[in-house]
Amino acid sequence: MAAKPGAASTTYSPIDPTNKTRPSIFTGSDVDWLRPDSRAFQQCRPAFFRTGAVNSAAGSAYAEFGNTKVIVSVFGPRESKKAMMYSDIGRLNCNVSYTTFAAPVRGQGSDHKEFSSMLHKALEGVIIVETFPKTTVDVFALVLESGGSDLPVVVSCASLALADAGIMMYDLVASVSVSCLGKNLLIDPVLEEESYQDGSLMIACMPSRYEVTQLTVTGEWSTSKFNEAMQLCLDASAKLGEIMRSCLKEAASATQE
Amino acid sequence: MSVEGMVGLSEGEKEFIKGGIAQDLRSDGRKRHTYRPIYVETGVIPQANGSARVRLGATDVIASVKGELGKPSSLQPDKGKVAIFVDCSPTAAPMFEGRGGEDLSAELSGALQRCLLGSKSGAGAGIDLSSLVVVEGKVCWDLYIDGLVVSADGNVLDALGAAIKAALSNTGIPRVNVAAGAANDDQPEVDISDEEFLQFDTSGVPVIVTLTKVGKHYIVDATSEEESQMSSAVSISINRQGHICGMTKRGGLGLDPSVILDMVSVANFVSRQLFDKLDSEISAAEADEDES
Repeated sequence: MAAKPGAASTTYSPIDPTNKTRPSIFTGSDVDWLRPDSRAFQQCRPAFFRTGAVNSAAGSAYAEFGNTKVIVSVFGPRESKKAMMYSDIGRLNCNVSYTTFAAPVRGQGSDHKEFSSMLHKALEGVIIVETFPKTTVDVFALVLESGGSDLPVVVSCASLALADAGIMMYDLVASVSVSCLGKNLLIDPVLEEESYQDGSLMIACMPSRYEVTQLTVTGEWSTSKFNEAMQLCLDASAKLGEIMRSCLKEAASATQE
Repeated sequence: MSVEGMVGLSEGEKEFIKGGIAQDLRSDGRKRHTYRPIYVETGVIPQANGSARVRLGATDVIASVKGELGKPSSLQPDKGKVAIFVDCSPTAAPMFEGRGGEDLSAELSGALQRCLLGSKSGAGAGIDLSSLVVVEGKVCWDLYIDGLVVSADGNVLDALGAAIKAALSNTGIPRVNVAAGAANDDQPEVDISDEEFLQFDTSGVPVIVTLTKVGKHYIVDATSEEESQMSSAVSISINRQGHICGMTKRGGLGLDPSVILDMVSVANFVSRQLFDKLDSEISAAEADEDES
């Protein structure tokens, strides 16, 4: 889906921090990995964001990164039946769910049970909870189609939805993940690459403040490779942050007209 | 996530904790990168294939490993399966009764799975899954690793990691004799021996180090009082080669990337001491068990 003509470019690639051509050393069974959508290793999928997708919610956003389609609604600040205790700071409640048709095999979602708590952790350091005491902000994310790199898309989309709802935050949260296949680092992996990966690194960060709010690593990483992957993710998040910001500006200027 | 709400601290106590950490002298006299004394007992659950109990100060956890024969998944026919579950017992905190401890249990299980089982393709797994297969594609061992938090005084994840490492080194997988001449499609007949056991190889199992950031400094092995004052925490799992096997940021405020890299090098340094300490404790515990 293309952005409106005249809008900022929606494709972004981080700068390769090593700045030298990667030697093509592959162990026996590996072959030269060609990305299914013929991107470069360091190139992310084109990002499409739209706020105001759900009319009945306080704020909402829709994000589409290649085949990964996510919609997030934000309700609140409002009263919550779950909160029994008085609290002089606000509460955040997150829920991530998959539709039954999201995965290639019906009903077989990825291990998304912990995505709700990971989304909560990624957002809790960014929202200024002192601005809505005694109330709760609910963030509901629905993954319509899972095309790989689901949680980063959910996190980025959720922070846009929160901005759309007018919840005060220190900064937007942009999130990117990197997959390690043999010796290669692939940014923004698709579902197929994720199933073959040897390790993954997901970072959610605040681009303007240059702070990391959530970080998960699986697989075996040497310190230098971890460093490289982290720089890659931070650079891509900065660029993704700019795209998110331009999406918000467009939405704001559209309502003014 | 700490057991917040349980620890009621006055403003003075909070300042004392933060100030002590800034001056490298914590409330119990430890330095910032010192662990509490670790006590390991193995073989505490005789009915399980392997078990261990680890005490880290007042934090007390038990890990047990049980194996059952099962069928390997079609995607990875040459590997066994391992499942890790953590249960927070109400004896640790009254709020864990019923479904109260579910969030913490899910978080701990997830973090342990990430650290010990690696990625989906099996690379970076601390446990060698291909040693669990009996007949490729048909019969394999399913290991169920269960962790129980009996008493929680901070740093539960590190204690669980140590307990699982000890339980795995205590685990004996019974030898399985496969009946020869079985037809290709049928399930082969297997005979589980009661006498012979194969010891599990735990040299690749990583150790988990949780670094808690309080103010400008990070401490290792925080008590629950110190955890209540944290701004954020990162749990890093490191193996003997010094490679990162898994890492999770445990909520809280944002962290500068340079801080994260510094935490990784601190964790690397601390993990070497922890490996040596754990290995000596585990072998002492096994020696005790053999004698009794």
